[in-house]
Amino acid sequence: MIGKRKRDISAVSRPKKGGNREESPVAPEPSAQDKLRKFFEAQFQPLDVKARTAEDESEVEFDDDDEYDGDSQEEESGSESEWSGLEEEKENAPVEVVEYQAPSRPTGDIIDKRARKAFMTSKPPSFDIDLTTTELSKKAVDDEEDKDVESLNLKNDLALQRLLKESHLLESASDLAPTGKNRHKALDLRMQELGAKSSLYHQKNMPSSMRKGIKAKAVSKEDKRRREARENGIILEKPAPKKQISGGRRERGVGGPSIGKFAGGTLNLSKRDVAHVQASRRGGGKSRGRGKTRGRR
Amino acid sequence: MATSQPPIRLTSHKNFVYRLVFSALTGRTVHISQIRPSSPTNPGLAQHEISFLRLLEAVTNGSQMEISYTGTIIVFKPGLITGSGSGAGASSGGVIRHEIPAGCTRGVSYFLIPLCLMAPFSKAPMKVLFTGPGVITSSTPTGDMSVDSVRTAILPLFNQFGIFNNIELRVLKRSNPGPNGRGGGGEVQLVFGHQVRLPKTLHLMNAGRIKRVRGVAYSVGVSASNNARMIDTCRGVLNPLVPDTYIFSDVSSAPLVPANDRNNPSAKKKIGLGFGLSLVAESSTGCLFSADVACPPSGGQPPEDIGKQCAYQLLETISKGGCVAPAAFATMIGLMTMGSEDVGRIQVGRDIVGDESSIQLARDLVKFGAPGWGLRDASDDSGDVIISIVGRGIGNVGRKVA
Repeated sequence: MIGKRKRDISAVSRPKKGGNREESPVAPEPSAQDKLRKFFEAQFQPLDVKARTAEDESEVEFDDDDEYDGDSQEEESGSESEWSGLEEEKENAPVEVVEYQAPSRPTGDIIDKRARKAFMTSKPPSFDIDLTTTELSKKAVDDEEDKDVESLNLKNDLALQRLLKESHLLESASDLAPTGKNRHKALDLRMQELGAKSSLYHQKNMPSSMRKGIKAKAVSKEDKRRREARENGIILEKPAPKKQISGGRRERGVGGPSIGKFAGGTLNLSKRDVAHVQASRRGGGKSRGRGKTRGRR
Repeated sequence: MATSQPPIRLTSHKNFVYRLVFSALTGRTVHISQIRPSSPTNPGLAQHEISFLRLLEAVTNGSQMEISYTGTIIVFKPGLITGSGSGAGASSGGVIRHEIPAGCTRGVSYFLIPLCLMAPFSKAPMKVLFTGPGVITSSTPTGDMSVDSVRTAILPLFNQFGIFNNIELRVLKRSNPGPNGRGGGGEVQLVFGHQVRLPKTLHLMNAGRIKRVRGVAYSVGVSASNNARMIDTCRGVLNPLVPDTYIFSDVSSAPLVPANDRNNPSAKKKIGLGFGLSLVAESSTGCLFSADVACPPSGGQPPEDIGKQCAYQLLETISKGGCVAPAAFATMIGLMTMGSEDVGRIQVGRDIVGDESSIQLARDLVKFGAPGWGLRDASDDSGDVIISIVGRGIGNVGRKVA
């Protein structure tokens, strides 16, 4: 039995009725507990818990048969206690149950297959396999009731989020679902949220004067709002950072010329390009790295 | 332009491949002398080094090399890295076939990792098929990692530099090292189809925490139960630490190579039997750490030992800290050095920086004209070092037109 214990297995022993320890190699533990108990008793009431040390057990036994004198008791108590423990175990037979579990772990076959497919390709593996989805679905199958509640919650959640996002379209609080023009606007917002590039109502082509007018109007509106807020002492959000117009920092095509534009079999140089080339020739290194930054990231 | 510059003079056989790679990338001629001059039996260039030179010649256009009579001195004048375009070396489908001779003791990753470092800067996609009686796909006693680790721990790193398209490493045939660690019979194809002008500047300062471990257990020509046994012990070590541990098993038959039998010229023999394990740990910030153990060519080690060793090796690699594993250090540093003229930063474990090969790499890079590294202690209390590297800004010479 002792040999078995040493192995790396999970040994589950049934709770024994008698407080019998078959051996007491754990000598420091009871003493520590004793100290703790004494400290506790000093602080609060004395405890009437029976301490389960080897000495106590032996004392109990000697209470039963008290024909020995005190001095020899002390001597024999240690060996006696060990014996009593083993014998008791045999008599009462609190069987120690050892459950042997092989260290193998259950494997989810479906996850395994998917992960294998993702990992064992010839491509560098993408580690981002979501193992949670299948687990979620498994759980969902387990309890149908939870599923219903979950779906209802989800529905409500979605409705609330939509309301929060689109409430500015609603004119009154009475009708929560937008109708007509507002419904279209709401749909457009949702599309954008899902990843649409631009609004459906964004007009692509229009006369430039009109576009300028629209932009100027937007700017003036914002200015006015800010000015009024400042005058009234209201603190507004910080102005959104201006979109940087990508200044030619894009990755140049492969095999293209590093200067000018190649079209129809001819390399066309703009005036700027020509000026740039000439400047670099004349100025030597004084072109402020204009040529360096070109086409490089 | 390269002709006017004097050759860079280097000595000893150490860091041989990376010297040649940086020579090809920067276009500088190298003169390497004192290559194993005092070895009584094998002075000069070794077989795998010659093989690498052949490979380099195949993927470049206009390379010239001169090797001295004893092989202890080599002058390499690099050409343009063309990849497997319409060059002379490429066969049908634009695939360069590189045969590794039978006596090779190095794993195929010895060729793959430097080739991958060159591939982003080639003119055309790099497609190389490694065949022949010397291709060892597993990890080797000479310290090379397995092909699986190259695929799972090295190639994903290119993603951080904006290189991710059309990269494949196909293991067509597996092989462990043959008798005495020489030769194999594997077959591996590398497709590196993403060429860039300049890799992106990298700032990698947060190693994160390990979130998953993946691995491949391979057995070649031996029972598949070896795989199961390796996986079992390995998971026994790793599962309490990382629950998300999956190790996949790959079983293949032993490769056949010509036996060179005089009586029966068509005879073939089995070679490269064995098994091994490759593990990759990924952190929450995408840093990869790998470990590789294979059974020794002489055998005599149970798969349980291999599994346990590999798990411990992975833990050791992770414990070295930083954002980069020692095996991937040269690749990362190489790509950062070839990046744009901008300061990239990377956090690296102290032991990895202090390693002999790392310092050798740094010295060689300085010889090649790269600015020195800036080193400072990491701000967190990990004891790591942050290396700041200014890119050369040369990038892909083949892509620089006009």
